[in-house]
Amino acid sequence: MSTSDEDPETTQVPATGPESSAAGAADRPPAPPRPRGGRARTAVRGFGELLITLGLVLLLFVAYELYVTNWKSGNLQREASAQLDEEWRSAPQGERQLHVDPADGEAFARMYIPTFGADWSFTVQEGVGPDALEVGPGHYKDTAMPGQPGNVGIAGHRVGKGAPFNDLDLLNSCDPVVIETGDSFYVYRVLPMQNEAGGWADGKGTQQRCNNVAPLQDKQDAYDETFGRRIVLPQRGDAVSPVPYKARNPLPKASQAALLTLTTCHPQFSDAERMIIHGVLTNQYKKAEGTGYDDLLAAIGEA
Amino acid sequence: MYGWIWRHLPGSVALRIVEAFVLVVAVVALLMFVVFPWVEPMLPFNDVSVR
Repeated sequence: MSTSDEDPETTQVPATGPESSAAGAADRPPAPPRPRGGRARTAVRGFGELLITLGLVLLLFVAYELYVTNWKSGNLQREASAQLDEEWRSAPQGERQLHVDPADGEAFARMYIPTFGADWSFTVQEGVGPDALEVGPGHYKDTAMPGQPGNVGIAGHRVGKGAPFNDLDLLNSCDPVVIETGDSFYVYRVLPMQNEAGGWADGKGTQQRCNNVAPLQDKQDAYDETFGRRIVLPQRGDAVSPVPYKARNPLPKASQAALLTLTTCHPQFSDAERMIIHGVLTNQYKKAEGTGYDDLLAAIGEA
Repeated sequence: MYGWIWRHLPGSVALRIVEAFVLVVAVVALLMFVVFPWVEPMLPFNDVSVR
């Protein structure tokens, strides 16, 4: 390194006249004579610069996670949303049945959470792989489809990648989560929290918006662990079982409640645990020509 | 490292400032669009599903 630094100066001296060497000197002041141990000095300085560079790269990575991934996912979500609209528009009203098996990564439904604002909506993709989740929330394959008895499992990012489930911790019992398919709107409402379940019938359960929402365990013991919000370890795959937290399904399909389960990482910025939100189907509206989500919001009293 | 790069950029000081800027932009773009998307899935966050 040090020898190559000196090269241009040593070759310039005989080749150029006094004026140009003066100009060159103004441009590029001669390096001060290197003290002994210059090599060690260079090494230490190089190491310091490397550390500073690594710090800058880490900062850049944070910016990437928080902003660049949002921007990329926003584009993907816009495309998926436009495609889903097109698909629904092109199919005649009567034939807009939900695909029984949407292709991997294909958007097949749209979800709304009015609590997060009337403009909060994302398409739901089939599968919970990284590619599907980059577009928006993903539906666990092999879990129920919207409206069916059993458990509709949906995962979504909480940080970066559009962060659809960023505010999932702000959901309270009875808050609606709406799933729109080709022919229907399904309104799920968050189940009572564990500390509310006891006095539900005389407490929050009396509110108008909590119609059809009641602690599930009152009717079926199998739902003894199913509450509005739970924090579990990532290994609890049974959170999206037909009967949550029962890996071996204890109930026949006909007596299963129609549930919705949202999963995201917890605490925020970590994936040590998962936040789970459970909701129950309370209403179902067939889509009529000329009506949309705004009309639905008015109908369920969330406008 | 940075001193070495600066001394090896050709041209006048103004030109070298432009060259250095282009280099920085190129490195940032490489990180944002190639390196970070590749590294990200291996890092222990943003895993949101249960297994």
